[in-house]
Amino acid sequence: MTRLPTLSRRDWLRLSTAGVLGASMSGWLESLAADTASNPQRKRSCILLWMAGGPSQTDTFDLKPGHANGGEFKEIATSVPGIKIGEHLPKVATHVKHMAIVRSMSTKEGDHQRATFYLRTGYLPQGPIQYPSIGSLISKELGSDDTALPNFVSIAPNRFLSPAAFGSGFLGPQFAPLVVGDGNGVFQGNNYEQALKVQDLQPSSEISRAQADARIDLMHGLANDFVSSRPGIAPLSHQAAYSRAVRLMRTDAARAFDLHEEPDQVRDRYGRNLFGQGCLLARRLVERGVPFVEVSLGYTNEVPVGWDTHQDNFNNVKKLCGVLDPAWATLMSDLEQRGLLDSTLVVWMGEFGRTPTIRDKGRDHFPNAWSTVLAGGGIKGGQVVGKTSKDGMKVEERAVPAPDFLSTVCRALGIDPDKQNDSNVGRPIRIVEKTAHPIKEVLA
Amino acid sequence: MIRYRFLTAAVCALLAAAPALAAPPADDSTRDAKALADKIDKLIAERWAKEKVTPAPAADDAEFLRRATLDLAGRIPLVSEVRTFLADPAPDKRARAIERLLKGPGYVNHFANTWQKLLVPENDPTNFELLLNVPPFQAWVRRQFSENVPYDKMVRELLTAPVVSDGQAAIFRLQRGERTEPSPMLFYLAKEAKPEELAAATSRLFLGVKLECAQCHNHPFAKWRREQFWETAAFFAGLSRDTNRFGTTRELTDRREMAIPGTDRVVQANFLDGSEPRWKYKVGPRVTLAEWVTSADNPFFARAAANRLWAHFFGIGIVDPVDDLGDDKAEPSHPELLDVLAREFAAHKFDLKFLIRAITLSKTYQLTSAYTDPSQEELRLFAKMPVKGMTAEQLFDSVSAATGYREQGGPQNPFFGANTPRSEFLTKFASQDKRTESTTSILQALALMNGKLVADATNAERSVTLAGIADAPFLDTAGKVEALYLGTLSRLPRSQERERFVKYIEDGGAKKDRKQALADVFWALLNSSEFMLNH
Repeated sequence: MTRLPTLSRRDWLRLSTAGVLGASMSGWLESLAADTASNPQRKRSCILLWMAGGPSQTDTFDLKPGHANGGEFKEIATSVPGIKIGEHLPKVATHVKHMAIVRSMSTKEGDHQRATFYLRTGYLPQGPIQYPSIGSLISKELGSDDTALPNFVSIAPNRFLSPAAFGSGFLGPQFAPLVVGDGNGVFQGNNYEQALKVQDLQPSSEISRAQADARIDLMHGLANDFVSSRPGIAPLSHQAAYSRAVRLMRTDAARAFDLHEEPDQVRDRYGRNLFGQGCLLARRLVERGVPFVEVSLGYTNEVPVGWDTHQDNFNNVKKLCGVLDPAWATLMSDLEQRGLLDSTLVVWMGEFGRTPTIRDKGRDHFPNAWSTVLAGGGIKGGQVVGKTSKDGMKVEERAVPAPDFLSTVCRALGIDPDKQNDSNVGRPIRIVEKTAHPIKEVLA
Repeated sequence: MIRYRFLTAAVCALLAAAPALAAPPADDSTRDAKALADKIDKLIAERWAKEKVTPAPAADDAEFLRRATLDLAGRIPLVSEVRTFLADPAPDKRARAIERLLKGPGYVNHFANTWQKLLVPENDPTNFELLLNVPPFQAWVRRQFSENVPYDKMVRELLTAPVVSDGQAAIFRLQRGERTEPSPMLFYLAKEAKPEELAAATSRLFLGVKLECAQCHNHPFAKWRREQFWETAAFFAGLSRDTNRFGTTRELTDRREMAIPGTDRVVQANFLDGSEPRWKYKVGPRVTLAEWVTSADNPFFARAAANRLWAHFFGIGIVDPVDDLGDDKAEPSHPELLDVLAREFAAHKFDLKFLIRAITLSKTYQLTSAYTDPSQEELRLFAKMPVKGMTAEQLFDSVSAATGYREQGGPQNPFFGANTPRSEFLTKFASQDKRTESTTSILQALALMNGKLVADATNAERSVTLAGIADAPFLDTAGKVEALYLGTLSRLPRSQERERFVKYIEDGGAKKDRKQALADVFWALLNSSEFMLNH
């Protein structure tokens, strides 16, 4: 049971002893800077906008004007006649023609930790099985090993509530996300310049480029010697990880993280905050062929409760929408302008919604009937899926459980959700559980 | 000062008469361990003959010492330890090295860390209640190894520990830093005192039976039925906990039945092998369970333990995976061997050190990990030592040993210990991989290449360790290369390696500066796969 993809264990052994993996690090790797965005064989990518805390659907995508549960916000028209969304997402409203708004999510899990795990892995936490997050599952299918950038990048996650839901679980460290701007329970504030850098990407400035190259060559020689006397998964994985890391250090690839390359107006349009700049980074990564990028919006300095608006719901949601709206809308425009929207699926979701009934100016956890959005590649935009009751309290049409939603995401990306992976408990586990059915209406 | 030196010299003279400080205990137990080691070799070799396997040659002294130190003390050996060992002419030096390691603090640290992770894998850094209960738990686990508590006693203590807690008050005591008794309470708290979680853990860890697959339906691969899972859980049915944080834990010691959730079927506490519990007056169900689990007659207990210990040293058990001996598909690679190990373990009162001695004294354990013949590819024939990944703790402690890094300050307060270099490193390098299939991630590679820990140690100007070598007047360039090799790879360089690096250093590297070039070599060694792996 090897986790090194494509090659069987025997192949690796043969290759290593033949010295095929022995090329020197410096020099030829620079030429790997192929511009994948213009590649006609371009694979699909997915950008997940993860709304931590459970965003209120009654204030964003499924308003109930005229009802007591409606709350303070009004509806506004969108680029699709007949579809209206909340007034604090005006820029997003212009992109509804690319979106399928799912108003009938219905999931039963109301606890942050369990729900986060469920919506991000498609499975409920169950004893020892380390279910991988959807990012790892998808990037494993869409990514390849010889790219300079890692296949799964997680931007500003706040993993402290449910760390297992953000990892690669039984798929192993090879499919773990490269994380930048990790919250870890501490509010990042808006120090996005510092936060959105890859940690340890470069040696200290005291080490010149020539010295760094020399060091890597020395190390490589040692590794080669070792792997030739001891071929096997561990030494080979070490070599592979180092070679990817050096590629990241050496090639153009690392410049993806250099937001200074973008004109100021562009950076302003996304919003000068962690989430906004994170979305810009996501676009840059997708342009360079990264198949899965997630950007989290949740617990911030301005809105410490994140989307978990038990208190002061309207003010907090308004503030968060103020961050979400320009970032998401600019992301959509930029992708469209660059011809990437057709091959990039954008997913907007949290772990649950919020109660339509208002309690003391707040809304509480509500998994019974809530909203998510699918946009871009693989999606028939300009439609609404499902319907909730007049008071928003239950789903009237087309209930969508979590596995169905994730199955739809897979299909939109051209991935077979029934495909199985080896797990850590000795039995194979499907990407999405087999009882799931994708929402056919939204698939292009 | 002079008197001290004289005394030390005198003591040394006296000790020189007796072979070494750490002679193995001269008793039956050691003789038996050697006999068991021979038996291990015999049974392993029988299968080699049958499968026409050519085993790898024996590991040389350096390879042996590094491996044994990592496996027993959780870190690479220090330069002085390597030099002393390589120079020692005594024929029984390997056995004495094993004894030295078993007596040292490294053994306690390493085995306590290993067992803590097994017992409480739930690693939730935000659960403050769990965090506060970590120090007493750590103290309890450490005591088991520092006092060499027999394994059956350790398990009984764990399973029968008092779990009644007064919730909030206990937390306040811990927060105030009041000394609390070492206690395995965390085991129960981490599983929320839920009978199904406790049954699953008990069965998996101590019986080697992954019963939890039968929690919801009859086990797909093995013979366990759903009732049996809940019959085992019923031993813990008396435990309950308030669902709020810092809630009170309670126990009703006369409860030993529970309903299978989602049904109205009630099951009684029953042993997994079908035997009837002999309930005694006023003896709680956990005690009854503990006695059965740890009994010398229990068909699973000794086997599971022996298998786990084997896997600790070889990276892979005689039955693989180690926590599913009950799986019909998981055949032991050497059935008679596992039986013998289990039997001897039980016969020697479940003395962990006895079994450790037997394993590490065997020729099989002391084979090289180098691949010399295609017949060695099947790791489960143990024709060579598999290359194993290190745990995050082993790697950090090895980097520390190699670089002379010392963490600042004393024991960490769990609230604020979250962001020390060590804890950050442990988070980055935590891995669930099977050790013989250990993988490295890009972020890990970047952390080792460019992270502060290695950067500081390999900085020609700032590193104290490098300065010590670079400025040593009695070391020529070859001697400096040797010192670096001994400190990182725990061996002497081969002649081509020595030549290559001496030339590199004398040429001055990229900056035409010998000290910088020395730092480059140190950096390369620390980042090499040979350093990062346990072989």
